[in-house]
Amino acid sequence: MLRIRNLKCYYGRIMAIKGVSLSVAEGELVSLIGANGSGKSTLLQAICGLLPGWEGELAFRNDSLKGLRPPAIVQKGISLVPEGRLIFPPLSVLDNLKLGAYTRYRKKQHIEIAQDLEMVMTLFPVLKERTRQAAGTLSGGEQQMLAIGRALMAKPSLLLLDEPSMGLAPLLVDKILRTLVQLRENGITILLVEQNAQAALKIADRGYVLETGRVVLQGNSQDLLADDEVKRAYLGKDYGDFYEGRG
Amino acid sequence: MEYPDYEQRLQIQLERLQSTLNRAFRSVPFHQKRLQEHGMDPLHVETLSDLSRLPFMERKDLGEHYPYGLFAVPLRDIVRIHTAPGTNLHPTVTGYTKHDLKVWREMVARALAASGVTALDILQITFDSGLANWGRDYKDGAETLEASVIPNTPLSLEKQLMVLRDYKTTVLITIPSAASQLVSYMFRSEFNPTGLNLKTLILVGDAVAPEFRAFLEDRLHVSVWLQYGLSEVPGPAMAFECRNHQGLHVSEDHFFPEIINPKTGEVLSPGETGEVVFTSLSNRAFPLIRFRTGDKAKLISEPCSCGCPFARIEWLGERTDDLLTINGVKLHQTQIIRHLEKALGFAPDQCRIFKKQYSYLEKYGARSYLEVWLLMNENLFSDEIKMLQKLIHNAEEKLHENIGVPVKIKLKEIRTFAGENR
Repeated sequence: MLRIRNLKCYYGRIMAIKGVSLSVAEGELVSLIGANGSGKSTLLQAICGLLPGWEGELAFRNDSLKGLRPPAIVQKGISLVPEGRLIFPPLSVLDNLKLGAYTRYRKKQHIEIAQDLEMVMTLFPVLKERTRQAAGTLSGGEQQMLAIGRALMAKPSLLLLDEPSMGLAPLLVDKILRTLVQLRENGITILLVEQNAQAALKIADRGYVLETGRVVLQGNSQDLLADDEVKRAYLGKDYGDFYEGRG
Repeated sequence: MEYPDYEQRLQIQLERLQSTLNRAFRSVPFHQKRLQEHGMDPLHVETLSDLSRLPFMERKDLGEHYPYGLFAVPLRDIVRIHTAPGTNLHPTVTGYTKHDLKVWREMVARALAASGVTALDILQITFDSGLANWGRDYKDGAETLEASVIPNTPLSLEKQLMVLRDYKTTVLITIPSAASQLVSYMFRSEFNPTGLNLKTLILVGDAVAPEFRAFLEDRLHVSVWLQYGLSEVPGPAMAFECRNHQGLHVSEDHFFPEIINPKTGEVLSPGETGEVVFTSLSNRAFPLIRFRTGDKAKLISEPCSCGCPFARIEWLGERTDDLLTINGVKLHQTQIIRHLEKALGFAPDQCRIFKKQYSYLEKYGARSYLEVWLLMNENLFSDEIKMLQKLIHNAEEKLHENIGVPVKIKLKEIRTFAGENR
């Protein structure tokens, strides 16, 4: 569904993504893990058209995304849940959600939009209780749900998420990730960027490990979770754990 | 078995190739230095054919970085270490991570399944000590298929036949010359093959001529399947025959094959005969980047009617280098001489090395051994025959231990030394 070959992204003259190839098949949940500054968010921004000037090949359903502006990419069926949620704090929860569907209003899809609004409210009942409330007054977890809900209002077939667990309590992280599994079961393909590697790999089908702008490892998520290198670098296991019992 | 379509396969191969290069470049000084010497960075490899811009890796590189110099992971991630005879004084040492072993197991299991092996089979593995690594890999692969495995144990022919018969073995994995040795032993000892349950013979280590295959199938009442592997960078089943027996499918999801002109190094098109070069795509501990195998083959790119999309090679059995293949073990002249020097305790003035076959056997692919001729002169001479015999006997044993194939050492006078090899 999404196919990336030899992607290179630049910030000025600095190459932040150094020839990344990666793919997401229809119906898959793929996690992209890596340390700070490894280029995970940059990659998502390039897919969404937020970082023009990339080189290589970025294709969605075999159509190139080259030169497309973000609204056109959203219309193709790709939505981003950005890092730090980036909701509109003064606007109500309802307006935030409606804004997510703004490319569809032009197409007069009012009935479908109403249905999707209902779907989001069912997915996150807490949002239904707070439709009139200013989004800025929501808790962190609720804001994250709102950000996901807003992305879903664009009716994406591919959902990109940038660090949805950031700053959330473990219980809420669990809830958000469970929602992703549910969305995948409903047929949405998901590319998840996470620093919380353990949690991200647990729910994913496959994963990629990014290191300073390059993919150094890929595989099915069970293999990655069991991988010594991944454990050392991303799952917070101390070197001591490995030496234990080895004299 | 389900296979991804062409585009998907291409994508998977490219992704795996690039991350292999990234890991090798990051973790192995040898790979990093060589890429840099060629003015290359892994990011310059944007397609599978860009691989042809990278330098080759040769057998001698494996020996020069003895023991762990080519490992791409810390030793604490290694769960198995294999040693194979190298082409020089040092053996070749390879390592595996937990994940590598899993990949090999599945790869071998897939190749066995393509030969019709199932959980109902009783599988017997027979190799010389030089190919003991393959024995382990086949055992693991067959166990993954849940077949009943009789692992590789050095047995006399008599005992081997006893196990074949009494344990009701249905699949035998061995090298061609050992199979031929078995046939002649059976016929000499008046044992009718109808007394066996054997139905599948999987041959590895050497290519087989069509007549030899027909001979074995006829005498043993089996179907023969050929599989290809590398003994120094284990393991087996990197390429395997399917039910059509028309070339060997390369496990392309884990190894990317190229056929090159052995003289110029240029990549040849499908159908042209050249040397097989492999690049590993999923190996973690021991990445191979454009490894020259020395084996001659040609690539068959037409799709196979068995449904397996992996490209096939026609394995020709000849070599592009001066390695001797003895019972599947590859040996280099200089390596043999160095080991000989160590075994004798001095450097012989002159010696000649031959690959010989035990003479009592059938004409096809008889079991081979290494024969070494030493020129008899004052340095070697002793007036006590016993001393000489002891020296030769010890040297034979030591040499056998080091290179993993049977050895005979003969003392020759100057007149016969230069003569014809008979």
